[in-house]
Amino acid sequence: MKKYISLVFGLMFASQATLVLAAGGKGHVWGQMIPERAEAIRLGGDPVRGEEAFRGCRGCHKSDAAGLKDGTYPRLTGQHASVLVKQMTEIRAGIRHNPKMLPFVEDPAISVQEIADIAAYLSKLESTRENGKGAEDQSARGKKLFTDHKCYTCHGVNGEGNAEKAYPAVAAQHYEYLLREMKFIEKGTRGNAHPDMVKAIAKFSQEDREAVADYLSRLPDFRTVAATASK
Amino acid sequence: MRYKNQSIGRAIRACGALVGLLFLSAPVHADDIPPLEERLQLCGGCHNPDGNSIIPENPKLAGLDEKYIARQLADFKAGTRQSPVMGSIIPMVDEKEFKSLAAYFSKQTRSGGVAADAKLAAQGKEIFNEGITGSAVPACAGCHGEDGSGSDKFPRLNGQNSVYVVNQLLSFKSGARTNDSKGLMRSVAKRMNEKEIDAVAEYVTTLKEAK
Repeated sequence: MKKYISLVFGLMFASQATLVLAAGGKGHVWGQMIPERAEAIRLGGDPVRGEEAFRGCRGCHKSDAAGLKDGTYPRLTGQHASVLVKQMTEIRAGIRHNPKMLPFVEDPAISVQEIADIAAYLSKLESTRENGKGAEDQSARGKKLFTDHKCYTCHGVNGEGNAEKAYPAVAAQHYEYLLREMKFIEKGTRGNAHPDMVKAIAKFSQEDREAVADYLSRLPDFRTVAATASK
Repeated sequence: MRYKNQSIGRAIRACGALVGLLFLSAPVHADDIPPLEERLQLCGGCHNPDGNSIIPENPKLAGLDEKYIARQLADFKAGTRQSPVMGSIIPMVDEKEFKSLAAYFSKQTRSGGVAADAKLAAQGKEIFNEGITGSAVPACAGCHGEDGSGSDKFPRLNGQNSVYVVNQLLSFKSGARTNDSKGLMRSVAKRMNEKEIDAVAEYVTTLKEAK
């Protein structure tokens, strides 16, 4: 009997450990709707209010939200509102590990309503500044890797991501930022990466990551692609 | 902790006479609130009657957002913002007075300041507008505005006394001042060295509100 009980406990522990590992830490399961994210979605965003609320973000992401070319801060324009809400609320909840940004995205600096507003504002904002790209054009090899590894399944053929599923748009992002996040995703230090993404990125060598990051950084803003296609 | 020009000592001496006078008077009762003019003599001793303190260690209150001033007064009252001078003044001021005092000072026009070291101010301008990328210091302009005009959440900085700005940044850096929102300013100030703090303070005093 004793043996049986310890076996049950052992199994319970093992299954829980697997979940935690898959989530990349803190026991959060990817996609699990945390209360503040649900609240932000329920409230809905207003881009006019969002422009004002974005004020506190400009110190790093700059007034045009294009971030920095060297990748220190990501470009936020053209990202899906759903992704921005997910990332902001998960950073706030400590699920995505970002201690530098944390105090800027917490109450009272920013409220849940303002998170929804900022997301609505940024998803419509145009970036005019050029983003950071790799040192040499590796887009042909990068595109092949992106296709062979079926990255498009989640991130879209034009790097447009998926608004409904909150998969991020990756097109036209800064090269160095993409590389850094790939590393954080693999190491588990990002904290909120999709378990499939953690597995997928482990198969890429450093050279392969550089090629893919370069390819994505050279893709146009997916909204431009969509606008041209609809003409 | 390093305080420029032994600021506390100087500020205490500057305000000493007024504090002394107040200790002689009876404590304030809620139904016995003195008129604003009388209160301005109290606050004006250190902050000037128009809120543009001429004592370098003391902050200019003129043009700060009403809600911001009221919040600071409440924090001094609650002890969540510490200051030897304000700590001795605030027990004599009733909470019911905070709103009218905040309203009065928020409506005053902020006076300008002059940089003592133009080269240092130029270095400060770079930090204020661009931040320090290597140590992840965000641009001050993001929250405080390019002209330092601030908001209800982030205080007005244009024309502020540079010594006061240095002392506040050092207090945030050391963790002595803790009434910033969730450690926001503490996290920023910790990433700055004393030279950068001096530079940015030298710049904000020269800032003028954009019309």
